Parts: sequence; structure tokens; C-alpha cells
Amino acid sequence: MALDSAMPILVVDDYATMIRIIRNLLKQLGFINVDDASDGKQALEKIKKKKYSLIISDWNMEPMTGYELLKEVRALEETKRTPFIMVTAESKTENVIAAKKAGVNNYIVKPFNAQTLKGKIDAVFGE
Amino acid sequence: MEAVKIKEENYTENSPINSLIDLSEKLKKSKTKPMSLTDIIGVAELLTSSLQPLLRQIDSTIHKELRSILLRIESLRTEIAKVRADDISHHKIPEMGRELSAIVEATEGATNNIMESAEAVMDYTGNDLEEYKQIVADRMMQIFEACSFQDLTGQRVTKIVETVEIIEERINLLCDMLDMSATSEKAPPEELTEKQRRKKELMLNGPALAGEGVNQSAIDELF
Repeated sequence: MALDSAMPILVVDDYATMIRIIRNLLKQLGFINVDDASDGKQALEKIKKKKYSLIISDWNMEPMTGYELLKEVRALEETKRTPFIMVTAESKTENVIAAKKAGVNNYIVKPFNAQTLKGKIDAVFGE
Repeated sequence: MEAVKIKEENYTENSPINSLIDLSEKLKKSKTKPMSLTDIIGVAELLTSSLQPLLRQIDSTIHKELRSILLRIESLRTEIAKVRADDISHHKIPEMGRELSAIVEATEGATNNIMESAEAVMDYTGNDLEEYKQIVADRMMQIFEACSFQDLTGQRVTKIVETVEIIEERINLLCDMLDMSATSEKAPPEELTEKQRRKKELMLNGPALAGEGVNQSAIDELF
């Protein structure tokens, strides 16, 4: 899948501030087609209605966590290959390994900068 | 009919057993003679009298034990009062909750102000350099102002730390008076609530402290 600045991206985080930060970073990187959701459940509803090229999700959210969302996304035929980047404060080895096993494409630990986000997006899209 | 005469004066407090032995001998010697009501009452009195020292001894021991328990309870009540549990539950903990909420509000407000300023600078699309410089100067000033949240939140955090220390001190006091260790091996295993169980299952550990968890470089090696 090629990297396209117009590709639809879904940002999932329960903190409006973090969504705003990621939106601004993505904007600086040239990505303007960004939707957001405040937890895994809301994200899943959006994913079922619209095809996203990239999902950037936090882990620690209620009622559905990013980890649960990742498993749901991988279980759906239409989204099982959708690039998924976890952006989270959860930095224990068990979290990273579990996410990797569940099929995450990359993992960013908060706090992070624009360069890290760009690097991971590039890596996911093989740029 | 000659009854066996048992008189109170035969009994001395120091020799209840001897009195009973004497009575037993007299009864043996007067096998053929039936016991009168007076004799039976006398026997009863003698038995009761003979048990008095024992009962007094038991009574004294129980009294001492009860007195000791009472003193211990009074002491515990005094010590527990020092813990001031009602103060902790009604004032200290709610106060900490309010302070933490205020910190969240202050940091959120400051972050929004800072981001708003940064967005205003980055979104400028005009060509007037002087106008741009003025926008940058104004917005930078707003960012400085917003950063003052750190002073207030720092003070609030200090208050919370002090309260936690007071609570810790009182819990330690309670543990000491009850001869309990805070890390007692006798403590039953903690039962997880539904929320705690979910947190454990879904690995919701929250942000790690400095030096804990894995860093980005280590994570990158896995991908």
C-alpha cells in the first residue's frame, strides 16, 4: 500500500488533547483526511462504515481498549490488513509483545515527536 | 433419732477440705442413722462453703482478665481515635480528589491555550511579515502565561503528597497498635474487583516511571 497524503486516517484516543496533538502532527506531515474516535467501540463503528488506510490508536481507553480494537480489526475480513499503529503510554514488554502477536504494525510510546510518528508511518507503508 | 450434727462453726475457711473429710467420717460412723433435713442443709452449706475459695480464686482471675481486656480496649479506643479515620474519609481523601481534579483541569486548560497559540502561528497564511511577527509575539506571550499552570499544579501536588504522608503515618500507627505489619504474611490474598481483573487482563498498566518499561529503541527492534 502506497503512502498517500489524502488517505483517510482514523485517530483513536480518549483524550481530546491527544487527538488534537496527533491531528496537528499529521497535518504538519501533510495528512489532512483525519477522523477521530474517543474509544475502541466508537472507532469500530466508524471502521465498519468507512474504509481507513491507517488506524492510529491509544491502548488505555474505556469501554473498549485499543488492544481489543486491534483484535476486532484483525478479525474482520475487510480490515484484517489495515495498517494499525499503537500510540500509547503502556510501555511494558508484555504490552508490546501482546500487541505484536495481535497483529499491530508498529508501536509508539508516549510522549513522542513528529519525527517518530513520521518514521513509523513510513515504515508501515514501506517508504 | 440422733442426727449427724454439722455446724457452721466446724467449718473454717482455711480448711474446707478437712471439714468435708470430717463430715465424711461422721457419715461413715453413723451408717444406720438416717440423715435429717438439718444434716442435708448442713452438707449443702459445707459444700458451698468449701467451694467459696475456689470460686473466689476463679472470680479473681476472671476479674483480672476482664480488667486487662477492658484496659486494652480503652487503650485501643484512645489510639484509634488518634488515627482519626473520619477525618481521613470525610476530609483528607475528598480534598485530595478535588486537588487532583483541579490539576487535571489546569493542565488541560493550559495545554489547550498553548496548542491554540501554536495553531494560530502555524495557520498564518498571509504575506505581511510585520503582521506575522506581531502574531508570533502575542501568541508566544499567551504560551508563557499558560505555562504558569506549572506553579499552581506544583503547589497542589505538594499538598497531596503531604496528605498522603499523613494518611501513611496514621495507617502505620494503627498497624503498630494492632501489632500488625503493613506487609503481614497473614493477610489474606487480595480479591480483585471486576475493574481490577479487567485492568490485569487487558494489561492496563498506565504510564511507566522513569527507568521502568521499555524505551522506543527497544520496541523498534521488535518491528
